[in-house]
Amino acid sequence: MNNALLVVVIAQGIAYGTPLLYAALGELLAERSGVLNLGVEGMMLVGAVMGFWAVQRFHVTTGVALLGAVGVAAFAGAATAAIHAFLVITLRANQIVSGLALTIFAGIFGLSSYLGNDLDLAKSPARHQFQEVFPSSWQNLPVVGPIVFGQSVLVYASWVCVLLVALYLSRTRLGLNVRAVGDAPAAADAMGLNVSAYRYAHTLIGGAFAGVAGATFSLSITPQWIAGLTAGAGWIAIALVVFSFWRPTLCLVGAYLFGAFSYLPFALQARDYSWAPPPELSQSLPYLMTIVALVLVSSRAARLRFGAPAALGRPYVREER
Amino acid sequence: MVHQHFRLVEPFTVAENIVLGDHRDVGRTFLVHTRAIERRVADLSERYGLAVDPRARIWQLSVGEQQRVEILKTLYKEARILILDEPTAVLTPQESRQLFGTIRAMAEDGRTIIFISHKLNEVKALADNVTILRRGRTVATLSAAEAARRSLAALMVGREVELATRNDRREIGETCLALEAISAEGDRGLPAVKSVSLGVRRGEIVAIAGVAGNGQRELAETIAGMRASTAGTIRVAGKKLKGGDAREAIAAGIAYVPEDRLGTGLAPGLSVADNVVLKSYRRPPASRGPFLILHKIRELAEAVIQRYDVRASGPDVPARQLSGGNLQKIVLAREFSGEPVVLVAASPTRGLDVAAIQTVHAYLRDAAEGGVGVLLISEDLDEIRALADRIAVMYEGVVVGERNAETATVEELGLLMAGGE
Amino acid sequence: MIRIERRLEQPRWLSVVVPVVSVAFAFLLATVVLVATHHAPLHTFRRLFEAAFLDKGALTETIVSATPLAFTGLCAAVAFRMNLFNIGGEGQLYAGAITGATVALLLGGAPSPVVIVAMMLAGAAGGALLAAIPGILRAFFSTSEIITSLMLNYVVALIIDYLIFGSHSYLRDSSGFEASVFPQGKTLPDSATWPSWTIQGLVIPLGALVAVAVAGGVWFLYSRTRFGFEVQVIGDSARAGRYAGMRTRRKIVAVMCLSGAIAGLGGASQDGDFRHQLDPRGLIQANYGYAGIVVAALARYNPFAVLLVAFLLGGLQNAGYTLQGADFPNGLVGVLQGLLLFCVLGGELFIRYRLRFERRHAPATESA
Repeated sequence: MNNALLVVVIAQGIAYGTPLLYAALGELLAERSGVLNLGVEGMMLVGAVMGFWAVQRFHVTTGVALLGAVGVAAFAGAATAAIHAFLVITLRANQIVSGLALTIFAGIFGLSSYLGNDLDLAKSPARHQFQEVFPSSWQNLPVVGPIVFGQSVLVYASWVCVLLVALYLSRTRLGLNVRAVGDAPAAADAMGLNVSAYRYAHTLIGGAFAGVAGATFSLSITPQWIAGLTAGAGWIAIALVVFSFWRPTLCLVGAYLFGAFSYLPFALQARDYSWAPPPELSQSLPYLMTIVALVLVSSRAARLRFGAPAALGRPYVREER
Repeated sequence: MVHQHFRLVEPFTVAENIVLGDHRDVGRTFLVHTRAIERRVADLSERYGLAVDPRARIWQLSVGEQQRVEILKTLYKEARILILDEPTAVLTPQESRQLFGTIRAMAEDGRTIIFISHKLNEVKALADNVTILRRGRTVATLSAAEAARRSLAALMVGREVELATRNDRREIGETCLALEAISAEGDRGLPAVKSVSLGVRRGEIVAIAGVAGNGQRELAETIAGMRASTAGTIRVAGKKLKGGDAREAIAAGIAYVPEDRLGTGLAPGLSVADNVVLKSYRRPPASRGPFLILHKIRELAEAVIQRYDVRASGPDVPARQLSGGNLQKIVLAREFSGEPVVLVAASPTRGLDVAAIQTVHAYLRDAAEGGVGVLLISEDLDEIRALADRIAVMYEGVVVGERNAETATVEELGLLMAGGE
Repeated sequence: MIRIERRLEQPRWLSVVVPVVSVAFAFLLATVVLVATHHAPLHTFRRLFEAAFLDKGALTETIVSATPLAFTGLCAAVAFRMNLFNIGGEGQLYAGAITGATVALLLGGAPSPVVIVAMMLAGAAGGALLAAIPGILRAFFSTSEIITSLMLNYVVALIIDYLIFGSHSYLRDSSGFEASVFPQGKTLPDSATWPSWTIQGLVIPLGALVAVAVAGGVWFLYSRTRFGFEVQVIGDSARAGRYAGMRTRRKIVAVMCLSGAIAGLGGASQDGDFRHQLDPRGLIQANYGYAGIVVAALARYNPFAVLLVAFLLGGLQNAGYTLQGADFPNGLVGVLQGLLLFCVLGGELFIRYRLRFERRHAPATESA
């Protein structure tokens, strides 16, 4: 039963979807504060390479190594995001161009490969890797086994993160403030909130999440350093934020959905189904679905209820209020 | 303070908006206790007659309800002094009455209310004390009992107006602009212009007097085709316009000098030359077919700079570098050069120095002498009385009176502008 | 306290000095990075320069790299000038490559000039049609063209991959044993090979000349025609555009289509000038579309500057490929490009705004 296509696809969809989820949560927080960061792919790669380096470099027990590596990855992602934050918040640069520049700077032809090469990381697999947490007896339970109990700690941690981010945005004062900053920075400023500070903080946190997402690849899914190993996951994460209407809980659903769509072709291939639709079709679904979702949300009322933070992508200049 | 332009976050609920502005220590909790907040908001709204659902989202609310949220914000913070700036500008008569009830309740609670308004009936209905300001100076402070309505109007607009020598006897021709029962909505979807009928004849200067915010801008935009009317017809030289199409209006000979010089009337980053041909670029001499004739455009611009004495170092200077007076000269020059039939000028001398004002007035008179029908929209009664042949007063979207400029008195006009009879 | 206020006038010299200083600053930062990672900066820069421009055959290779960048750069510049953020240049280039290759295969036996012109038209059409989608969605549904064009990049990438690797389509090479094991595109007929001209050892492909012509055309369109005038007005102030009676929505679709058409031309050029088959993996790896946005931004959306920047960045790209190896830092190209862009972007602030240093004022004493 646990080998049924559906079960396998869901289980793997969760595994593949986890880096998407982390990256999307981070980007969601940044966008909620009004900052569009297209550099997710670059930040993920930097996080992946630095996390990998930490694991290879430091001779400690598995638990400590992995925890430390995730921390290093988060820090690396945040540091990369800081460049974008400085450019678009303080220097009022165009957010789209800056985000793209970040992807080029840090991406497969940039900093991450530079570091991976210089630090000689491509040679061997990760010394410590994230393994499944629960004992195999639990993993063999029908259906819930592989899906719920067969995942690594990163997956479980991501669930906690979704919960925390959702509560943060909807129940806390800080969350209320950041939503105001993203929706109506002029009003927020008039209320005495420091728009720049909120935007900086959330962009950096977004970078940290992206870094962790990258570490998921290099320490769990792959788990090796290959230049550009995220293979476009960062872009899917950006789509995911839109698709989830900027809500963390929908992010979870969407991430696993997108993950499943990514994995489906491989599953079908392994089973030699002749009627299988071309893998490209299922892989393009996340993108097509996002476009449809966007168009549906284009009426004014829908946009206010479900749409992007109103000030997303525009620099806030107090004098031009 | 409750501002005229609300500081509300549209996607948020009422309760969230109220709490957002709360800076007192009591309010600085980590979690947002939604239910407690909603309860307190509900209490306050009941006590002061500010009915609004704390769970509703701002974009779902009417403007009147949004204003109630702004007031609740101040009450929630337990403000002792409230300043309300033209609060009834966006309210229906019923909502205004409700607001007055609220204000009285707040006053009874021992709070102090400063209510800014140009509407005399409101002032009379609410105030214990009235202070009148004109041009930034206090003119008088009276108790409500002392002030009869009529003298308030006079104090508002002032008596020391030297009548400009009016020795222009212009030929007045047939009707060039006819507005028949025009109605239009404002930006928020509320009716801003309510069944306005007005005519302007060739060679005539008709002024619409009124305090800003009574529908004048929306009316001007409707005539210019930037706004679609919800009812009524516009006729230019007898021909009926479809409406809602700026290009049609321009082609019909309607020239429009908007209030917002630099953002609407001119493209701020583009050069003077480009702005001069902003409307005429589609025809020769500015273009031939799809191509622009750049040297001709430059010539046109240089001619304008010369003829209208625009202080600019050249036609290539970006518009935003020019002073207000020079900007207005360019707009007027451009609108005249289109050989218009009707010229709508909205607050044309706002923010200009005395010399520039004289220049603009001269151009308006020239236009009328040339047979153009001029519709002047202004708040400045001095200006109106100096220029206009006929004066219509707009109040809350309606033309409340039309007077002949030679016989109208300042008191009369002031009273009409303030909503009196 | 530092206050940032908008400049009232932007002196000409500032528009030249600031980018130059920014570029210099970028190289300074790159030097820091190199030194920190134990590479000799001057040596590295010199090798880059030589590999890009001076070595034997380098200039030719640089033009090969620069040509697609010119097309996608012009694509981005055309749209960004009107505040339309078309980041779908990548996908629009693929679309042009697909339609260009299809037409070339269909017209196989026809005389060469016919085939080449047909490829160009087909390429432009393919790109234009794809770009029309985000254009229409933006004009009539107010949907963000940023996200829709980005999503379509991925959809088209999957389509182009499918055509060669996922199916036995018309475009796929089915001759010979190798072809069924290593999928690749059908080789285009000889008549579909775009000519090139050799001057003193430097090879100039037709695509490069087309790019120059397109740059000239765009410049002319935007500065000398009614269409361009409207684009400038709407880009500067949409309200002024409406005031003047301009048809804003139609303009949006038109500009997006033009933008896509240029990228599509670039795709056709890739088929005809360089690859001579539909090469999905190669095109996708090259990321011409995103690099084009970088080019356009560095060139501040001026068509002729785009050509220059495309040439320089093409040189950088070329040098990166050539020097790839053990003793040359991998990924330096991206780092350098990124730094250049960061510094130029950041420098823009000083062109548009002015910094004012003010001391905090003591609270004002009572006014008169």
